[in-house]
Amino acid sequence: MNEYAESPNTGGEDDLALIELVLAGERRALEPLVRKHERRVFRIALAVLGNVEDAEDAMQDTFVKVFRHLDQFRRESRFTTWLTRIAVNESLQKRQARKLSVSLDESPHVESRSLPGRFEPWTADPEKLHGKREIRQLVERAIQDLPPIYRETLILRDIEEMSAGEAAEALGITVPALKSRLLRARLLLRESLSPHFEEPRQLSTRIMDSARQVGNMMKAGLTRSAGR
Amino acid sequence: MLSCKEVLAHLSDYIDEESSTEIRRALEDHISWCRRCRVVFDTTRKALKIVLDVEPFEVPLAVSARLYTRLERLLSESS
Repeated sequence: MNEYAESPNTGGEDDLALIELVLAGERRALEPLVRKHERRVFRIALAVLGNVEDAEDAMQDTFVKVFRHLDQFRRESRFTTWLTRIAVNESLQKRQARKLSVSLDESPHVESRSLPGRFEPWTADPEKLHGKREIRQLVERAIQDLPPIYRETLILRDIEEMSAGEAAEALGITVPALKSRLLRARLLLRESLSPHFEEPRQLSTRIMDSARQVGNMMKAGLTRSAGR
Repeated sequence: MLSCKEVLAHLSDYIDEESSTEIRRALEDHISWCRRCRVVFDTTRKALKIVLDVEPFEVPLAVSARLYTRLERLLSESS
């Protein structure tokens, strides 16, 4: 479960208790604290850096920093928020240091690629088409294939469920920029998952649907002109 | 009346329930008769649900173990 959807007092209290214990030198509190948050940190690092080796480095450095500065953690914000910010910073710094190429331009090429090109409905039950494991692999591949600026936006907003404001702040961009990246990220993801989750349908149904679509458009056009 | 392109521009806000009432009504009117936009809205939602459901990207066991070893070392140095 993610902590962002919870009220600040649930889950967060557990974190505070564990932090107190670690600060008091209780090493047994380390494991639950790390276990609870490692996945989030790993995912963020992987989203920004794009490969497991660099993500591992960034994750280690994030936790080392967190534990070194645990006494500076200001309790009015949630531990998760603080940790996430450090994880994003560490990952972005690493990306800069490694000079990993990141195309920051929201070019017309990406723009046209993110325009929907598939218009078939998806199955209501994806597990009828694929096993759980396969679905996860499909999703992971689709996310990994996104350009980095879209990948990191999607992970922060739609997996870690940060608010637009929090995600924009963490990435050092404006909220409108974040929202525009998020829209493209979602559309690109939808496009690349579409072939795997579309409802298998017969050609005759497709032709009927297209005819209905033309009819609806004409009807809407007539209503519009009648209203003038 | 909104064009398909305009409708698409509002998709994310609509999914996040951040659209104004006026925009929301205009979008719902559009997708009530435009099959393509309806499919795009519905399948984008489904895609995001699938992404949340599968909880992608587990930490590989070896990666997790190395992290833990490093933190233990750090704690024992500082205590």
